[in-house]
Amino acid sequence: MPNPITANRRHYEDLAVGEVIDLAPTTVTKQMIFDFAREFDPLPFHLDEAAANASLLRGLASSGWQTLGLTLARLSAGFLNTIASEGGLGFTDLKWKRPTMVDDTISGTATISALRRSKSRPASGIITIDLDVRNQRGESIMTMQLANLIAVRHPATVPMHEMPYDSPSDREGAKS
Amino acid sequence: MTRWFEDINAGEVFPLGDHTFTRDAIIAYAKIYDPQYFHVDPEAAKLGPFGGLVASGAQTAMVGQRLMVDALFAEADRLRAAGEEPGVGGPSPGGDKIEFKAPVRPGDTLTYSLTTLGKRVSNSIPGWGVLSNEITATNQQGELVYRAVFASFLKLRGA
Repeated sequence: MPNPITANRRHYEDLAVGEVIDLAPTTVTKQMIFDFAREFDPLPFHLDEAAANASLLRGLASSGWQTLGLTLARLSAGFLNTIASEGGLGFTDLKWKRPTMVDDTISGTATISALRRSKSRPASGIITIDLDVRNQRGESIMTMQLANLIAVRHPATVPMHEMPYDSPSDREGAKS
Repeated sequence: MTRWFEDINAGEVFPLGDHTFTRDAIIAYAKIYDPQYFHVDPEAAKLGPFGGLVASGAQTAMVGQRLMVDALFAEADRLRAAGEEPGVGGPSPGGDKIEFKAPVRPGDTLTYSLTTLGKRVSNSIPGWGVLSNEITATNQQGELVYRAVFASFLKLRGA
């Protein structure tokens, strides 16, 4: 039975490798950094300016998890909610390359880098998205790959490719 | 806020504690960070791929981060109580193989654990070491729902 919520959204067959989704800019204020850190990452260098200045980050910086959360919020609202998403499998090669400092404006791109069929779910495909998040100076602050399940509209007519595992990445054969 | 690099042993397991994911907390998180219908709308979620509401995978990961930080502070308190000076930790440069292996549903209680897989002295930052830490979470049925490996900086003693 087709899912009525996603019936009119783009499915696996409608996507192509190379599509780029722009992630809207967000300015990360001191208050946002404090609020997030109190909830999820209460390390001194995310909560206290003196401790932050003395730390490896050399100043008050957001949790890397906050950069990740804000990025995924934009990907979810701006892209995953426009396709027949069936949930995330995970992330690979997450790199926090530079800290997000107070009042930095972060934005980025999400690029579809791979499309493959799921081995364990015949009516699903797996979309790989490369995320590249930058600050207002154009410096890369976070990169990672994300794998997400997506419904196949006509499973019988799309050829199954040999894919050994359902994992966030097809590298190194992580078990499903 | 933890031990020194020299005092960490590869293979050592640190329990990080439990966390119960309530329906309200799942929805509140997802409204901000992952507003897909199967994370925010219990009725619509029944028609979706999980047959009901599930937590955003990133929420599972972030709860693990919070539990880990709380455990680091507890370890520092334990060392101080024993008359020892706690070590100094730094930020994480990243992670890999962050896998959401099974859905987390309202009412599920996850048990988190950290295992240090390995450690090395940093090449890029003098005076610091880098740990490779595996974080896992299993649900109340003993099913592995989350597994990830993160790097983190930890100061060398006397550096």
